[in-house]
Amino acid sequence: MLVLVFAAVGGLVIGPTPIGFSRVVGDVLSHVGLGHSTLTPLQSVIVWQLRAPRMVLGLLAGTMLAVAGGTYQGVFRNPLADPYLLGVAAGAGLGATIAIADVGGGLSTPSWTPLLAFAGALVAVGVTWAIGGRGLRTSTSSLILAGVAVASLFTSAQTFLQQQASVDSLARVYIWLLGSLASASWSSVTLVLPYVVICTVICLVAARALDVMSVGEDESRSLGLAVGKVRLLVVAAASLGTAAVVSAVGLIGFVGIVVPHVVRLLVGTSYRRILPISVIAGAAFLVVADTIARTVMAPSELPLGVVTALVGAPVFVFILSLRGRVTM
Amino acid sequence: MSAISLRELSVRVGTRNLVHGVTLDVPEGTWCTVIGPNGAGKTTLVEAVAGLRAIASGDVSLLGESLASLSERSRARRVALVPQHPVVPAGMSVHDYVALGRTAYHGVLRAPRAEDYHVVESVLERVDLTDFRERDVVTLSGGERQRMVLARALAQSTSIMVLDEPTTGLDLRHQMNMLELLRREVDECGLTVLATLHDLTLAGQFADRLVLLDVGEVVLDGPAGEVIRSDELAKRYDMELRVMDVNGSDVVVPVRDTQRVRPARSTDQ
Repeated sequence: MLVLVFAAVGGLVIGPTPIGFSRVVGDVLSHVGLGHSTLTPLQSVIVWQLRAPRMVLGLLAGTMLAVAGGTYQGVFRNPLADPYLLGVAAGAGLGATIAIADVGGGLSTPSWTPLLAFAGALVAVGVTWAIGGRGLRTSTSSLILAGVAVASLFTSAQTFLQQQASVDSLARVYIWLLGSLASASWSSVTLVLPYVVICTVICLVAARALDVMSVGEDESRSLGLAVGKVRLLVVAAASLGTAAVVSAVGLIGFVGIVVPHVVRLLVGTSYRRILPISVIAGAAFLVVADTIARTVMAPSELPLGVVTALVGAPVFVFILSLRGRVTM
Repeated sequence: MSAISLRELSVRVGTRNLVHGVTLDVPEGTWCTVIGPNGAGKTTLVEAVAGLRAIASGDVSLLGESLASLSERSRARRVALVPQHPVVPAGMSVHDYVALGRTAYHGVLRAPRAEDYHVVESVLERVDLTDFRERDVVTLSGGERQRMVLARALAQSTSIMVLDEPTTGLDLRHQMNMLELLRREVDECGLTVLATLHDLTLAGQFADRLVLLDVGEVVLDGPAGEVIRSDELAKRYDMELRVMDVNGSDVVVPVRDTQRVRPARSTDQ
């Protein structure tokens, strides 16, 4: 929890424009009636209109991606499952590409990108579900395979559109695909917040069921668990929450796969511990990654997905090297 | 009243009818073992009783209630399953594994209550696993692991237990220990058991009644001593069997036929 607080404060304090730690903290405390703010109006705008929504959106995105990843790993009993397993990334990527490349005209305003990304993600998961969800009460393999097929289809459509797009559009599509919190605002926080809260709560409540499901489908059913219903609920919640987050921040890799695994190494295999701690770890990780992304090459920014991958890939390789210790 | 009642039960898996027209009653507090060659449909039959296989036709009743009308939780409070190859999740403690047996009582939205923990502790003691309660399940030996799986089933506090080859992979001593434990539950606690076993000697020694299943149909059904001595048994296994009396216990001995080599049946469920 302390790590999360440090990450959040760091997200407010650290940035290309130097504002002292004590002045930012003093300003935060002044908002709860303790002391007086010493920030200039410009510094106040930087802290509260640029850094704060960005930090909060990072917390929400990190939370959702980590919890969704952990949930997917539990429900599919697959250590390589991540929140994009059922085609969310490919669907959102296609939706965003359509908007940015202005396919059909009239979509070039920035507001279309998150909207079409969200719609694309939901369409992709919906198609995956329609194809592979029939056998969901008894097996998950058909759903995973359907996810692979749908992701391939949507990605190929996305690649085709990118090939037709202008150089400028192509650059913007790539920036979006690598994920960023640069366009964060309080309105985007407001849009994403209900999805993240509701979907995270559903996944956390299902943690005990995920523990039961660790003994496999047949045995879970023999223990009295309505496996089919639980699966539908948690897969829907994890997918919806991921779609909402991706539509706001683009495709941020590794958080959903690495964070739950690191947490699993630290606290054991029970989802009643993995998921709540993934909330904190995912949120802190993404805010720290964003702080790095916007400061190391200031005034320009590194794509957030690049930073999470730069940190996440070595961690992931390290975990794979400890394969004997990674248990589901 | 019959604890388990099957009426013209047929179970189809894919395009194949693996169990057809089976009618069977298992009275409360008795042990019935299903025997038969590979591919006879034994596993499919017990899995259908445990509610894990869709029933093509007929009916399964548990304590007078049709299986089809029971919710997952209600069913898990009536019948517990010991599978042939249980999934043992690495990283879970023996205590937590056995406590999974209480899922049908506290549900997945609530934590186990004091009563649930009391049942778990009591069961661990009954199967002599109290000292192993904090051990990671994957560190147990085959015999300890099988006792743990039995403990989870006992923690379900059901009056019916179905077991699919519960002695698979165990040495002789652990096979006997496992079955003795189960027999004690039948004799002292009134548990009703429906099990499958390949070992005809053990099947005959521990069960009250044997049911010989072949190609999905009941061929013989009767007291263990009678079924073991039936000519039909040897015929269905397609080999010569001798039954010897050793200190009052029937021992079934297969006799090697050196004159011909028979191809084994390929189907195995």
